[in-house]
Amino acid sequence: MNRAFEFHVTLRRPFALRIIATVLTVLLSNSIVRSAEPEDIRFFREKIEPVLKSECYGCHSRTNKVQGGLLLDSRSGMLRGGESGPAVKPGKVAESLLIQALRHEGGLAMPPKKAKVAESTVADFVQWIEQGAAAPGSEAVAESDPSGVKAARGHWAFQPLQPVVPPAVHESSWPDSPVDAFVLARLEQESLQHAAPASRHEWIRRVTFDLTGLPPEPDEIDDFVRDESPDACERLVDRLLGSWQYGERWAQHWLDVVRFAETEGYEYDRTVPDAWRYRDYVISSLNRDKPFDRFITEQLAGDELEPDNTECLTATIFHRLGPVRRNAGNPEIALSRNEVLTERTDILGAALLGLTVGCARCHNHKLEPITQKDYYQLQAYLAAMDEHNILLADAAAQQEWEAETRRLKDQMAALQKRARLLTGEERIRLTEMIEQLEDQLPAPLATIPGTHNDFSKRTPIHVLRRGVWDNKGELVGPRPPSVLVPDDYSELPPETSAPRSQLAAWLVRPDQALPLRVYVNRLWQNHFGLGLVKTANDFGLKGDRPRHPELLEWLTASFLRNGMQSKPLHRAIVLSSTYRQSNRPTDARANRVDPENRLLSHFSRRRLSADELRDAMLAVAGRLNRQDGGRSVIIPVDQELVQLLYKPSQWQVTPDVRQHDRRSIYLMAKRNLRLPFMENLDAPTLQSSCARRDTSTHAPQALELLNGSVSNGLARSFSDRLQLEAGQDLERVVNMAFLRALGRPATTIERQKSLEFLRDEPPTEFALALFNLNEFLYVP
Amino acid sequence: MSPDPRPHHLPTRTRREFVRDACCGFGGLALASLLHEEHLRAAPGPLSVKSTHLPAKAKSVIFLFMAGGPSHIETFDPKPLLNKLNGQVRPAEFGEAKYQFIQRDARLLGTQRTFRKYGESGIEVSDLFPNIGSCIDDIAVLRSCHGDMVVHSAAQYELFSGRTVPGFPSMGSWMLYGLGAESQSLPAYVVMPDPKGALEAGQPMYMNGFLPAIYQPTMFRPGRRPVLNLDLPAHVDSGQRRRTLQFIRDLNEATLDPADAEFHARINAYDVAFRMQSEAPAVLDLSHEPQETLDLYGVGQEPTHDYGRRCLLARKLVENGVRFVCVVSGGGPGNMQWDAHGDIEENHLRKASETDQPVAGLLKDLKRRGLLDSTLVVWGGEFGRSPEAESGKGRDHHNLGFSMWMAGGGVRGGQVVGATDAIGLRAIDRPYHFRDIHATILHQLGLDQHQLTYPHLGRDERLTFVEGNVIREIV
Repeated sequence: MNRAFEFHVTLRRPFALRIIATVLTVLLSNSIVRSAEPEDIRFFREKIEPVLKSECYGCHSRTNKVQGGLLLDSRSGMLRGGESGPAVKPGKVAESLLIQALRHEGGLAMPPKKAKVAESTVADFVQWIEQGAAAPGSEAVAESDPSGVKAARGHWAFQPLQPVVPPAVHESSWPDSPVDAFVLARLEQESLQHAAPASRHEWIRRVTFDLTGLPPEPDEIDDFVRDESPDACERLVDRLLGSWQYGERWAQHWLDVVRFAETEGYEYDRTVPDAWRYRDYVISSLNRDKPFDRFITEQLAGDELEPDNTECLTATIFHRLGPVRRNAGNPEIALSRNEVLTERTDILGAALLGLTVGCARCHNHKLEPITQKDYYQLQAYLAAMDEHNILLADAAAQQEWEAETRRLKDQMAALQKRARLLTGEERIRLTEMIEQLEDQLPAPLATIPGTHNDFSKRTPIHVLRRGVWDNKGELVGPRPPSVLVPDDYSELPPETSAPRSQLAAWLVRPDQALPLRVYVNRLWQNHFGLGLVKTANDFGLKGDRPRHPELLEWLTASFLRNGMQSKPLHRAIVLSSTYRQSNRPTDARANRVDPENRLLSHFSRRRLSADELRDAMLAVAGRLNRQDGGRSVIIPVDQELVQLLYKPSQWQVTPDVRQHDRRSIYLMAKRNLRLPFMENLDAPTLQSSCARRDTSTHAPQALELLNGSVSNGLARSFSDRLQLEAGQDLERVVNMAFLRALGRPATTIERQKSLEFLRDEPPTEFALALFNLNEFLYVP
Repeated sequence: MSPDPRPHHLPTRTRREFVRDACCGFGGLALASLLHEEHLRAAPGPLSVKSTHLPAKAKSVIFLFMAGGPSHIETFDPKPLLNKLNGQVRPAEFGEAKYQFIQRDARLLGTQRTFRKYGESGIEVSDLFPNIGSCIDDIAVLRSCHGDMVVHSAAQYELFSGRTVPGFPSMGSWMLYGLGAESQSLPAYVVMPDPKGALEAGQPMYMNGFLPAIYQPTMFRPGRRPVLNLDLPAHVDSGQRRRTLQFIRDLNEATLDPADAEFHARINAYDVAFRMQSEAPAVLDLSHEPQETLDLYGVGQEPTHDYGRRCLLARKLVENGVRFVCVVSGGGPGNMQWDAHGDIEENHLRKASETDQPVAGLLKDLKRRGLLDSTLVVWGGEFGRSPEAESGKGRDHHNLGFSMWMAGGGVRGGQVVGATDAIGLRAIDRPYHFRDIHATILHQLGLDQHQLTYPHLGRDERLTFVEGNVIREIV
């Protein structure tokens, strides 16, 4: 009898051994107490478990392999299932994939390449599932490890980095980078053929969009396509990685994850003064390839580490990025504080740890090894942190600003006093006057909306029962989540000085594999559209398992070797044969056996993101203003949309129209007014962390691109540009248009169709049509 | 977000699914004739009509959102004792309440409204709503509603999404996700804001949150062309647009791999877009409505014209297969909503006179067209108002007990459910939370709150958060 049915902890760390010993003791003692096993468990032992062992464990157990993310060596593993869904649904035979697999139904056939198991065996499984799929383990576990923390320490993502070497492959001429060896080995294992290389036209378009978010210029394409030197690709990549646009492109990925916005949301949707400085901080950090540990430490604890360093203070805007509810009247101060702390804690889990800690706010996490106490201990690192707006203006400017502000505020106060005594229309009139005065308040002075510790106001952190702010339980101090530290890891005293520096120090230690894996996986995802772990914000038990675990280990190790800098990794990835593949699979089976292309048998074509699409249209139309950094730009939108703001006066369009043509990352990120163009093209909601952008295709999107003001305005400019460059010569207009928009000459049929169209139709419609082409919207 | 394996949102991967996806952006079944594909109706996609978990009674919902928080005391919940205690401090036996503005020593405020019994059911309705009163036998009044927040934005998020923070999908998006869309040429989830201005919670209140963008609402703008981008840019006529579309198609097809599902889907999205552009305006046009119908809703008269117009449009939308329509009464500064801090009389007389006839007109019109059975009409705000006075004659926000009502969509009308205490402070008999309202709405649509889930940041989220109770008395 397999007493440790529930436990196959990886035997690498001594404390894991201790756990096993403890658990075994508990299990054994339980079996003594319970002399007779329940009927259903005996049925499992006699009829089910032997079959699982002989037929399934080879590929679906923690001691052997984990194919398809499926573990059949525990009841919880079967219930959780793998990539196709739960293997077993107790009481529901028809929905249990395990039965389908045993019967070779629904496209599933298990065990693979072997004869079906006997009908009588299937019948046993059916009976077992109908009766609730009982299996030993879970009860006993609950007693020794109520939250599952100890058992979960064996989870792959929580392990130290495993040393890996690129595997040997048959087609040894293909790999250009160690990345390729991992990918090819897996393809060979699955007997899938990799794709042919992309054309040079395709490749330069792909890599330029990927590294800068902009299309290559026609002469850049020309130079590259003609360049026959062996290091042409390397030189191109180095140029792109060295361009300022690299930071602008890759900063947006990070801004998505930390749900960057410049306003607080909720009813006031107040602008956080100069929150754009955080955006510039990220761009500049990425452009300088600031090492990951430094990058994260500055954001978590810049104010503690270097209180006089403007850059470090700017980084701490990180803690100010979440939505904040502010209210007039009798606000519940402690509740508001709790909401702020919640927002700031949850983002640490999603963005840095790849763990959905937020669920543990109200109760022990049901699916992940995170206890409620873990949650509040993590929050305790932030207990003393408060908003701290640091003025950058000199004393004279400050005085002037204060005087003007005081003058207006005094007037407002006087009106408010009068309004309180009035009702009806009179009161409305005064309220409106107050609001007008409020709009006249001078623009905030140059500020860093950072954070600092104020220990005099430190919030004592309690475990809150059911997450309710005034239902206080045990008082806790800072400590990392239990599953990531040994049991004897001590909690810091609640009043510890520089708590966030300690959190950062723990988080970015080189031997702290989880945050590194999470970060490296994001990097991979943003090159290929899908991470090696698909759920980029969730590396927990419920999260996806890496399809190429060794590759992730290798990339992470390589990231470490390179001083936690990203550019060497970008380089290794985009110069690989894997990345160079065409988006057309060579292997006809590819789409069928691997519809998500997780094995990377070809390159996954991707639609431009909302920002990229707008930037590309600006570039092609010749209107892109490449100015970098600075205050965010507010562009004109439909007046009806502005009217939907509670305070329409917040949408003050930037007067200088040249600013309206800045890259999308410099547009105002306002929580309560998202641009329709961005909304229709799947830009994030700005309310919570966006791990990966959706790509939807729907009619309103088509209407936006056909009839919307963004595309029509830019089509006009594109058409003007073509006239300027090619004059009345329609042949030249068509050639130029295709080169600019698609980075390639028109084909014969395209040229012919275009000329026909241009003979009768306005050139702006021609330009608009090019912006609407599939090929324009997609990176090859 | 990673593709979700569950039946409500299949990953868009196969050709067919891509085609469906593309065709149904604004909702609706695919246009088989345009697609040259057979059996498309059977193919699953994010907006195709889905089978329900339970037998459905309603197909559509019209939410009459009384923004700012209408007073239950002045409308559907008569409190004679409150008039007797007018001017006194709240007796201790009624317990504590927290308000946004008014202080502990505030005085109770009686109402100047009078109530009378309507219909066979004899339910009491105030003189603010004589027309709604005349429909009372179709209405189930819920006098014991409560929510968790006493401030607008958070209460509005809770009313729409079941959560007090922004970023969660609204009930309209959930409904669309659960049922799919029926209309071929109209958006499936429509919000008609009050043209007088916006609300505290702003647009995020109506949004799809973490559900895919395909489930987003379409915000109708005031005026004759309510849908953004449905009208052509200046200087472009429909013929021109058709030729441009044909050109786009020609160029796309010139390089198209016949097996490329995703690109086919994009091409088809343009066909559907064009069709919407051609067909939707007829539905949105009220100029051909008979005078009798316009009169029923109070269109063409003040002060009912605006809300009446939008209610009539709501009827036309559900008639044409739109799933969820939210018609907002109130927008802009507080007193332009039902947010009567300063003077409950002035505010509520005005707001009621704008909405009473249109709301009753909608109920009657739906009923005579046989649409009331399949259309669930819900009336209410994000909270009610305090029994205590604010600034002498006004009332503050109040979330502990207030009234909403439902009609049609299989709801048994002519009854009152639940009760507040004798001064309207707290729901004491069978209190119903927003999640119970949500669970009931889903239930009438044939959706089970437990099965309608979507994974987000590690949780299988649902509209009813921790779980609601279906209000059994009325279904």
